[in-house]
Parts: sequence; structure tokens; C-alpha cells
Amino acid sequence: MTATATATATRRPAPALSPATRWLARVLVPAALVVAWWFGSAGSTSPYYPPLAEIVTRFRELWLFEQVRSDVVPTLVVLFSGLLIGVALGVVGGLGLARMPTVRATVMPLITFYRALPGIALIPVLVQLFGYGDGVRVGMVVLVALPPTLIATMDGVLGLDATLSDVVRAYGLPRSERLLGVYLPVAGPQVFAGVQVSMQFAFIAAIAVEMVGSTRGIGYQTLLAQQTFASADMWAGVLLLGVVGFGSSAVVRLVRNRLLRWYDGAQAVSRAA
Amino acid sequence: MRRARTPLLGVAGAVAAVVLWALAARTWGSTALAGPGETLTAMTGLLRHGDFWSAIGTTLLMAGRGLLGAALLGSVAGMLVGSSTLLSNAVLVPLEFLKPIPPIVLLPIAILVLGPTQVMGEALVFYGCLLPILYTTANGVRETDPVAVQTARSFGLGRWQVLLRVTLPSTSASIGTAVRIAVPHAFAIAVLAGYLGGSPGLGREIADSVVSADTARLFGVVVVLALLGLLVHEVSHLAERRVLHWHPTYRVRAA
Repeated sequence: MTATATATATRRPAPALSPATRWLARVLVPAALVVAWWFGSAGSTSPYYPPLAEIVTRFRELWLFEQVRSDVVPTLVVLFSGLLIGVALGVVGGLGLARMPTVRATVMPLITFYRALPGIALIPVLVQLFGYGDGVRVGMVVLVALPPTLIATMDGVLGLDATLSDVVRAYGLPRSERLLGVYLPVAGPQVFAGVQVSMQFAFIAAIAVEMVGSTRGIGYQTLLAQQTFASADMWAGVLLLGVVGFGSSAVVRLVRNRLLRWYDGAQAVSRAA
Repeated sequence: MRRARTPLLGVAGAVAAVVLWALAARTWGSTALAGPGETLTAMTGLLRHGDFWSAIGTTLLMAGRGLLGAALLGSVAGMLVGSSTLLSNAVLVPLEFLKPIPPIVLLPIAILVLGPTQVMGEALVFYGCLLPILYTTANGVRETDPVAVQTARSFGLGRWQVLLRVTLPSTSASIGTAVRIAVPHAFAIAVLAGYLGGSPGLGREIADSVVSADTARLFGVVVVLALLGLLVHEVSHLAERRVLHWHPTYRVRAA
């Protein structure tokens, strides 16, 4: 009986945990992990796991801000220009495919085939054709970032309410206004779900092209550090890559929340009602 | 009328793509861009060798073992995280930080510690699939019908029994979907581990083709990868429906 009673207490979440406990748990656990890493690795002589103190020192020496201009900026430029182009093409293409059933039926098998291919396998093909320039790196990011947004936009527009398109037609809105003023915003939440996946893929592609054939960039420096057994440098690079991955996906989330504020607001209202 | 034309249009699209590919190969020269014919020849040549089949097997095995580990640990940890507020708050910050960090970031560490081995690929697949499965499971647990939980409790079931007999069956659809979504990722990570990290399998086949400047072989491997990707995708959908046919979300579709 006591077992059931305690079970009830832990199963009903809201009253069981005070806000103070909640925040304590959120802050203490990560802090404890970092402290454990710091002291656990303190005297380490292992070639794989250098002391965290040494990693932090190397991080400061390498990335604040010695190699920002030579390596961090190129990575970010490739990542975000590729992502922007890929997303723009994906949105335009997705709108187009959604509105043109004949074209859709013609290219869909090709798109399915293309999406089944692990994006990474495109790198050597692209390099064979165009070499190792900056354009190829951006192009690689574009090719990988494109499909998620394209499919999400297409599905979003195809899934729209039939009444909506009737209304739009009854008002006689011109084509451009119909697409950009009505269809795209209504499909917005789905489009952004696709953009978030595009972001993850773009990040992977941007690092991967650096690791394959580049002479600069965070990914290149990190893999080089691994190959030369500079393990503290490598760990510092991994940390920076983690920060860039976390930061760039946070940026996309911020943009999404800003652009879809109207939608989140309407959702909150309808949930409260 | 339109329905009947759809597959024909798809075939036309595929044929047009192959023709364009052949034309591009002719203008580009086959040292950089292998044409469809050469690719097909290289592909059949590869498929006639046992080595290539074992490379396919190794890649699928790496993906499968990593995914299996992630599915086991991810669903158990997700059940625990989802059913305890204290635990879900405790792991919130570390998990939110790791979530947007793909396995390629950890690749240098994995190569350093584990070397260019099959285990390294499995570890990367495991890491890449773990968090999505954990998250989806935890959310599934939170969406369990509270009435069912209360009912079980009023029948006198203890905490663990409720978890095992009510929450787990209800969450299994979320777990199944999460694992199915993870399948193509697992496959892609296994290829990545081979191509960039030197793990055995199809990824290393790509790297080898590049090193030996064998364009036709490279294109053959790429096409095989796409076909395998399609196969893996179909099989995972089929398996999900097979395993979870009894769950309400699947029953509705059948009715």
C-alpha cells in the first residue's frame, strides 16, 4: 500500500516537484558533470583523454581568437550560405511541386531515389566533377540541405484545407499573392520543421567536406589534430564544433519563433480555450 | 485518368534523368563522370564479388548493432526520464546540449580512441540514434492516457507494474516510430564512419574508389548505396507495421 502511495506521489508530476527543486536539478547535474570531468581528468596522462584544464587552455589559445578568421569564419560562411540557398530553393521548389501535379508525378521517383542516398556519398562525386573549391563546399551543403525543406514545403501546401483554396480563388487573388501571401504562411510550421532538419544536414555536410578535402575550417583543424595525435587540440576542436552545432540550430529556432509568432500565439489561444 | 498516368510520368522522369546523365557524361568525359552504362557494368562487376557483399553486410551490421543498442538503452532511459519529473529536469541541460550535435562532431574522438574499426562505426551509430529515440520515448510516456494509468492504479498495480503494463504498451508506438525514423540515419552514419573514419564496409569502398581514381566503381557504389537506402527504408516501414499492428494508431488506419 505504501508502495502505491509513493508511486502516486511520483507519478503526479506538477505538485511533487517545487520550482526550486526543478531548477536545482537543472543546474546541479550539468555542473556536477563538468566538475567530475575536471577533477576526474586532472592528473591524466592518457593520450586519449587529456585533462580538461589542458583542453580549456588549448581552446583559448586556438579558438579565442587566433583561428577565428582563418578557420571559424570560413566554416560558418559555407554553412550558412549553403543553408540559405538550399532552403530558398527548397521552398520555391516545394511550392512549385505542390501546385504542379504533372511535374510532381514526373520527378517524385527521382527525388525519392536521391533522398535514399546518404548525403555524404555525394561528396566524392561532386569533388570528381568540380574539384575542392569553396563553391563546391557551398554546393555540397546546398544539395544536402535542399530535400528536407522541399518535401516539408510540398507536404505542407498539399495538406492545406480545401476550403482555404476555394476562398483564395473566390477572392480572385493573383497567383503570386496566393502562393506567398496565403499558402506559404499557412504551411509555415511544416516548412520550418523541414528547415530545422535541413540545418542539421547542412551542419554535417559542412564539417564533412572540410574533413575530406580542405586546408582550413574547424572540421579540418580538428581532424588534423587527431591525425597528429594532438589530443588536447582535438578535444578543443570537438568542443568548438559542438558549440557551433548547438548555436546554429538555436539560431534557426530563434528565426522560426520570430516568424511564426502568430502561429504559436494562435495555438496557445486555442489550447487555452 | 490522372491516376493512371502517374506511374508512366514517373518512368518518363527516370528515363529523362538517365538520358541527361548519359549526355553529361559524354560532354564531361568519363574520367570525372561515369556514364550510366559504365556505372552499370562496374556495379554488376562489384556485385559479382563476395568482398562487396561482405562490405554491404558489414555496413548493415554496423548500422543494425548500433541502432539496436540505441533502441534498447534509449527506450529504457526514455521510459525512466518520461515518468520522473526529477530525472527529466536533471538530464534536461546535458541532453538539450547534445541533441543538435551530430555524430560527425565526435568522429575525431571515436577514431582516436577506437581506431578505424567496426566498433567505432557502431559507437557512432549508437550515439547518433540514442537521443532521438530517448526523446520520443519520453514524450510518448508523457502522452499516456492518464485514465488508463489511474485505472491500473486503482486495481492495485504498483509503480513498476503500471510502467510495464500500461505505459510501455502505450508508448511502444512512439518507440517504434522513433526506431523506424532512426533507420536511415543509422545507415548513413555507418557509411560516414567508413568514408571519413576508415571503418570497414561501403564507406571504405567509396574512399578506396576515390584513392584508386576508379570513377565507374565510385558511381557504382553510390548507386548501390541509394538502392540499399530505398530497401532499408521500405523494410523498416514494413517491420514497424508488422510489429505494432495491434496498437490503436495502426488499427485505425486499417479500419
